[in-house]
Formats: sequence, structure tokens, C-alpha cells
Amino acid sequence: MRQPPVIAIVDDDDAVREALFDLLQVEGLAAQTFRDGAELLAYAAADDFACVITDVRMGEVDGLELQRRLRARGYPVPVIFITSSVEDATRIQAMAGGAAAWFTKPVADEALLAALRSALDATREA
Amino acid sequence: MSPASLSLPEGDEAGTATRYGRLLPRPGTSAQYAATTAWWALDISAARPAISAVVHGDASGDWVSALLAEVRIADIDANNLHLLGPLGGRGRMIGELFTRFCPPESWKIGADLILAAVASYPPGAPLTRNITSIAFGNGWATASVDPAHPDIIFIAVGGVLTDDRSLWAVRASEQRYRNLFHHMPSALIEVDSRAMRPMFEQLRRQGVTDIARHLDETPELARYSREIVRITDANRSALELLGAEDVAQILGSVDFVFSSAPDSAKRVITAHFEGRRNWVEVMKLRTLDGRLRDVELSVTYPTPPERLDVTILGFVDITEKLRTETQLRQLEADYSRAARISMLGELATSIAHEINQPLSAIVTNAETSQRWLSRDDPNLAKVRQLTARIAESGRRASAIVQRIRGMAARRAPERAGLDLNMIVEEALLFVRHEIESRAIQLSTAFDAGLPRIHGDRVQLQQVVVNLLVNAVQAHGDGGGRIELGTAAGADDRVTVTVHDGGPGIAPENLERIFGSFFTTKDDGIGIGLALCQSIIAAHQGTITAVNHPRGGAVFQFSLPALR
Repeated sequence: MRQPPVIAIVDDDDAVREALFDLLQVEGLAAQTFRDGAELLAYAAADDFACVITDVRMGEVDGLELQRRLRARGYPVPVIFITSSVEDATRIQAMAGGAAAWFTKPVADEALLAALRSALDATREA
Repeated sequence: MSPASLSLPEGDEAGTATRYGRLLPRPGTSAQYAATTAWWALDISAARPAISAVVHGDASGDWVSALLAEVRIADIDANNLHLLGPLGGRGRMIGELFTRFCPPESWKIGADLILAAVASYPPGAPLTRNITSIAFGNGWATASVDPAHPDIIFIAVGGVLTDDRSLWAVRASEQRYRNLFHHMPSALIEVDSRAMRPMFEQLRRQGVTDIARHLDETPELARYSREIVRITDANRSALELLGAEDVAQILGSVDFVFSSAPDSAKRVITAHFEGRRNWVEVMKLRTLDGRLRDVELSVTYPTPPERLDVTILGFVDITEKLRTETQLRQLEADYSRAARISMLGELATSIAHEINQPLSAIVTNAETSQRWLSRDDPNLAKVRQLTARIAESGRRASAIVQRIRGMAARRAPERAGLDLNMIVEEALLFVRHEIESRAIQLSTAFDAGLPRIHGDRVQLQQVVVNLLVNAVQAHGDGGGRIELGTAAGADDRVTVTVHDGGPGIAPENLERIFGSFFTTKDDGIGIGLALCQSIIAAHQGTITAVNHPRGGAVFQFSLPALR
């Protein structure tokens, strides 16, 4: 039987991490939280995640770098960005790197869940 | 009385017309006495009861003071005026008490002579006594009466002039002093504080050493002192400052000068008691025409062999200067605030990011709660938890707003005991995003046992933020490193250090980096570091900039620890 999808949540802000975790929980989705990109990359089962939701600006390994490294490892996991950054250049870079979606904070729950469902469907079909 | 008439006692005919008229001959006109003999003419009419008491054996205790208490000057000649000094000219001495101008050492002799001349008491008492005098060797004093003036006793003082030239020299010197005094552009008044000496002697006999405390405990003493110290002269500048048109308006007790500054009077008395040479302080002065001014008072106390009856009080009106200083401080505060607001503008993105995090959590938690509440069986425990988190994030956002308000507020600096670690952490709030967005590594080392310092929180935060922003801007786009630390330093000081990974400071700039308007940025104004130095200096601290041997610039400021 297929494992239920687990979503990785990456953000250096405690409150934001917890809030996203609880939003996914009320919709019946399992999630695991990480403080920054380095923590996720160091996690042994990093390639098991069905989707990664991440901020851009974080400590050592920021969101863009995280996406690059995941791709470099050959993980096709979809990455959704939720960020305070309003710079177009960053958004273009993220999308060019294969990002599934880009949201600015505070994110509307409907939009995020829709993008998440869409990304999970794509993974399942892959 | 115009200054001109005061400076020439010999020509001082212009004395007030008294009820006595001129009783004494001009110097040198009496065949019997030398030209240098000095004369008193004293009115003893009111002293008759005291004289009678002594004669009849009814006098008790200090009969000398009691007798002399009513003896007034009826006339005084030019020689005596010279010897006593120009204490106000003949006109001002007529009618005053004899004891005001005769040295206390000679009071008993004076009383004895009066008794001998007026009442022939004790029987056979001599009318001539030997005296000690500065001007005369083998000095003597002789009393006589004139039937034409029954209430007057004449006292002649003479001897061998120790040095004919020196008497003239003294007169000439006093003339010069008088001229100088009256023509000085700064305000000077002359007071006679001899009456303080017996009071001081009595206090010393009583064992008083802490005069300041004694004055606080005995307020009448200060009041009395202000009464007995008399203004004897003032120059034109002093009259202007005091708002008087004529020196006669201010002669008399010095009390009114200290009417708005009673504590200053106490300190002047204290300095006198302690034998100081000078006393200077700033005090409030209410002029005769009701204006309140800030003046710098300087007192010069006479020390023997100077004349002990001449104490000089100098006044400088510093009201305008103080007003300008207040305005300057206000300008500095405005300037400092403008710099802070400018800094806040530069950090707007950082600040927005800081506030956006809690806002983000609030929105997501609220939406999650709504999803729960729309279920048939809502997980109320969870909703409760989410609501609590919403409140906490709300408070967190509010705290950030408070900090920003604090930075932007127009307020006077407030000094309090502070923990520099907390100030640095709060300053990081404004800059952390800047650091992270440029992928600069921040390492911190805070001394946990840091002693507290005394200072203004907002101003010190301004300094730390400024240094951090500079450190961030020292790096280009390629990331870098900032080391931030606090430490307890040597001799009770507390230091904050910011070490960046930039190219360092050009050697030719090291000297002037804290100078006004120094900048290496294209769009820089160059007020940041100069303002930092000004703030640190105002906190009795020092700020330095050096290049680190391993690269980068090190900015460090140190402040004295609160004791």
C-alpha cells in the first residue's frame, strides 16, 4: 500500500512553521517541520517527502539554494515557496528552477491548499 | 553718587549735608597736630544712658558693645578716610555706627576714651592712649570735647608716619583700585563681610566643623549673615546688571542679591568659613526691576595682608548663553531623531519582514481555526491552542511596533540602568533580515555576566544598528561574515564589538572616520558615525575603529559599568 504523503515545511520562524503544520493537519495532511534548508538536506529520508513548502530567506541554506540542491540530488519533489520577499528577480529565479508555486506572506489558505493538492496529484501520477 | 566723586575722597565735599555740618578742620590746618593726624567726630548723645550705667556701676557683661551700640559718626576727615580706605566716602559714613568702620581691636580703647572724655570715668583716666596702627609707628589716640558741641567727642589718631611715601603710595594705589573697579566692563560689587568673623570665631569655639550642615540646621544663621554683610560699592556694569540707577539703591545689606538663590548664599558662607580664596557658581538673580537672570557669581575673599573689609563679588550674566545651550541641546536631539528616522527608512524592508512573520502566523492560524469550527465535530481544544498562538503572535508584532515607535519618537534622552546584551538583541531585530537577505553569516558572543550600564536605550540602540548596517554594507553581494559580541572589559568597562568581513577601512580614513560628514558611500551623508561618537561620548564612553589583522573592520565602543 502506498504511504500517505508527508509534506516538508521549512521556515526559520517558529510561529509560521507551527501554523502551517496545523493548517495541513486540519485538512488531514501529515507534515514535518525544519528550521532551514540545511536541516532538511541533512535529513536521511529527504527524498521521501511528497512536497516541500519553504520560505526563501533563511539561515545557512536559503529556499532557492535548497531547491537547487534537491534537484541536483535528483529529487523531483515539488517545491512551493511562501515568502516575505517581494523581489521579482527572486520569484523568476525560483520559477526557473522548477518551483511549483510562489506565494507571498501572509498566504491565503485556499490558495496554498489548492497548489498543494495540485502538486501532490502531479507526484502521484509520476 | 557718581563714580567720579567716589574716587577722590579728598575732594569729597559732596557728602550729604548732615545735621552736623563740617566739624573737623582740613588736614594741616590745625597748629596743634601734625598734618597727618586723622580725626573722628563721634555723636554720643544716644549713648548717654549706657555711659551712665557704667559710671554708676550698673553696666554688666559686654559694656563696650552696649556703649558703642549708639555711637555714630558725626564727621570724619580726609586723612582718616585714607587710612580706613574709601569705604564709601565721607558722605556715606556720616550717621553710621562708629563700630562699622573702626576695627574691632580698637573698640575697647574707643569706649575707654569716650568714658574718660565725656564722664571723666574712671577718675583720672587718661585722655590719650597708645594704639597699634598700620599707618603709624608709636601710634596714639586722643579724645577731646568742645563745649560748642556737647554731644560730640573728637578722637585724633596719630603717630610717626612709618613711611611718608608709603602713605602716598597707599593713597595712589587705592586711587588706582578705585578707578579700575569703576571702569571694569564686568559687573563688580564690593562688600564688607568683616562682621562674619566674630560669628565664625564663635562657631569654631562651639566646635562646628561642618558649616554647610550647620547652616541647613540653623536657617536664621544664613539669613543673619546676609543681613550683616554690607554692599559698600558697585561699578556701573553692576548697576546695569542689578537694574539700579544709582548705587545708593543697592548699598546696605547684600541680602537682596541672594533672594532667589538662598542655597548659593549658604555655599558662599561655607567657602568663606573654610578659608577658600575663591568661590564660583551659577545662580539665579532677581534684579531690582523684577527680571530673573542666570548669573555666574565669583567671590574673592580677602586674605591678610589684604584689607579684610573688601570682598569682591563679580557677576556675569549668562542667561543668553544658557538659553542658547538649551536650544543647542534641542537641536542635537532633533538631529539625532532625524538620523534615526532616516535609518528606519533604510531598514523598512527588514522591518516589514519582521512584522510579516507574526502576521503570517496569525492569518494561517485564524484560517485553520475557521476550518475546524466549520466541522460537525470541531476540535475545540485545538482551536483554543490556535487562538492562544494568534494572541501571542499579535503581541509579538505589537512589540516590534513599539520598538519602531521608540526609535522614531521625539523624546528627551532618558538615563536608566541597562543590559547591553538586551540592547544589542533588540537592535538585531532591525537588521537581522538585512543580514540574512545578503547571506551574511552572523555569529554572536554575548557575555552572560555583563555588568549593567547607565544610559539611554534608544540612543544606544541607534549606535548598534548604525554599526551593524555599516557592517552589512561593507560586504558586497557575495555574502560574508559579521561577528557581534559583548564583553566585560578591563577597569569596569563594558564593550560591544562589531567585526565585519569586508575590505576594511582605508588607512588614510582611519583618522577621520568619526568626523562629521565623512562618507565613502555615493549616497551617504556621513552623519552616522559622527552621531555615534557623539552619543557614546555623552555616555562617558569611547568608540574606536581599527582594521583586524585577519581582515575586515572592527568597530568597538566601551561604556563605564554602572556601580
